[in-house]
Amino acid sequence: MAEMWISMGPQHPMTHGLWTLKVKVDGETVVDTEPDLGYIHRGVEKICESRDFTQITTYCDRLCYASANTWSHAYIYAAEDLLGVEVPERAEYIRLIAVEIQRIASHLMWLGAYGPDIGNLSVMVWCLREREMMMDLLQELGGSRMHYNFPRIGGVKRDLPHGFALRARHKLKLFLDRIQEYEALFDESTVFLIRSQGVGYAKPEEMMNHGVSGPNIRAAGVNHDIRTSHPYSVYSELDWTPAVERSSIKGADCYDRYRIRVEEMRQSANLVLQALDKIPGGAETYHEPGDAKILGKAPTRAPEGTSGSHHFEDSRGESMFYIAGGGEGRGKMPYRVSIRSPMFITIPYASKCMIGYKVADIPAIMGSFDPCIGETDR
Amino acid sequence: MPIVSEKIQQAAAEKLAEALDKMDGVESSVDVRTSGTQNRPIVNASVSPENWRKVAEDLKNKYEVDHCSMITGIHWPESSDKTWEVVYHFLRTGIKNPVIEGGLVIPNIVDFSKVKGKDVPLEIQISVKIQETRTPSVASVQDIWVGADWNEKETWDLVGIDFDGHEGMRRVLNPHESPVGFHPLQKQHKLRYHGFEEMYDDAQGFMRKPVDSNRVK
Repeated sequence: MAEMWISMGPQHPMTHGLWTLKVKVDGETVVDTEPDLGYIHRGVEKICESRDFTQITTYCDRLCYASANTWSHAYIYAAEDLLGVEVPERAEYIRLIAVEIQRIASHLMWLGAYGPDIGNLSVMVWCLREREMMMDLLQELGGSRMHYNFPRIGGVKRDLPHGFALRARHKLKLFLDRIQEYEALFDESTVFLIRSQGVGYAKPEEMMNHGVSGPNIRAAGVNHDIRTSHPYSVYSELDWTPAVERSSIKGADCYDRYRIRVEEMRQSANLVLQALDKIPGGAETYHEPGDAKILGKAPTRAPEGTSGSHHFEDSRGESMFYIAGGGEGRGKMPYRVSIRSPMFITIPYASKCMIGYKVADIPAIMGSFDPCIGETDR
Repeated sequence: MPIVSEKIQQAAAEKLAEALDKMDGVESSVDVRTSGTQNRPIVNASVSPENWRKVAEDLKNKYEVDHCSMITGIHWPESSDKTWEVVYHFLRTGIKNPVIEGGLVIPNIVDFSKVKGKDVPLEIQISVKIQETRTPSVASVQDIWVGADWNEKETWDLVGIDFDGHEGMRRVLNPHESPVGFHPLQKQHKLRYHGFEEMYDDAQGFMRKPVDSNRVK
């Protein structure tokens, strides 16, 4: 049969955003693919060159609408490396709490979107119900629902509010119960199992060479996690190990990638519960904004020739910032900010992953990698 | 949770930096990055463009650096020792495919408190400096790390540094019909607005700058 190119996107339910996947098909079989990105490129890297180090945080929040906190934290760590800032330990714990709650919210958004992708609509409503709890917690910290602008260079904007620990513990325990509902919903849904098992196999060494990281690679049976291999923050003081999935012989399929994210949500909830217990000074004490316990002193200028970088475990994989200092205003602004987006690297790989499967498998495979176009296009 | 200790990472970084330093056209040292409360030793090397391809091959095959994180292009029009710079960030992750025993996949769980030798996770930063030229380019490493493929595309698209031997170079973030030679992260392209006051005072663009006069807003 004659091969032909068809274009999925930019407006297509599979795309989870605005991008095009060109697919070469032979009948129903995918023969070749070519992703086309850049539809919502906003030039964040260029804009950052004319903003001072504090102002950039808000732009980083807006890189990803599903996981804003992880992105602003990734930037803050790189900026702290550049400016040589010491962070109080209490602030590190509060950051960990914020990031891990965000990770749960992000994975819930993914799970909620993945259900309808492969014909299980009811799960979306269930996931968004729990995501609402997480958003409420994050709103208490940052003050808004999606773009929190929570971390500051040297610490955090605000301390844990009064009663936050109580509400967080309650909600997370409730959430840990309710995770079982998702597992029941998915694992007993024949439609879900048929469509996710046995498609989109990926092996870890190949993934690593292609630059794929995060939950997608841990689904294939290796425990690569930036939080343990290149430690930052206070993860080392809590009792946990990265979730790893036992994949099949051919590698991780879509079902493994679903399992790993559910497992990670459990783990993040446990991390937050532990952090609330261990936080220095206790979770019930409250410091005014700007207190030395939650905000370290930070210089505003970076001399020329300095640079800072940080690898960060984002909800979707390894994100990274590289900042070269010494830009406009005698170093008040960075000279160059460069962003590594995990999905920018993963989308081409996921597209190659589909070759050999049927056209109907494309949403299942693409969705399982958790694409987010906001960060991809920057 | 067991994490890799700073001392082991420091020793591994020093070993790799020493080995790299002996190669032609490479200057290498160990830097310390701080992340909040933790220190991370990294290998920081500067490689001349003509030696870069050889160094890259050795990094992959000899030193088992298996993950290309990011490639950054920087335009330095006013710098004295370079006009263009390409900064590579690599990770040595030591990831192996899980072994299969009796038809069962045994997950490959590394205890990071006990790793040694080439299994120690490491960060590597390589900078390649290019002198004044209108057509900056370095050797492509697309075939060594496939992950570098789209990073190189992006670097060419945004900064205009070309990669010799890169197959399928094209625009990825800018529109496909962008003019030839238009690379927005080069420093001659200025942002139209620098502060929010400026932006709101002139939202319609009536007081546009002379350089913008012929452009469609």
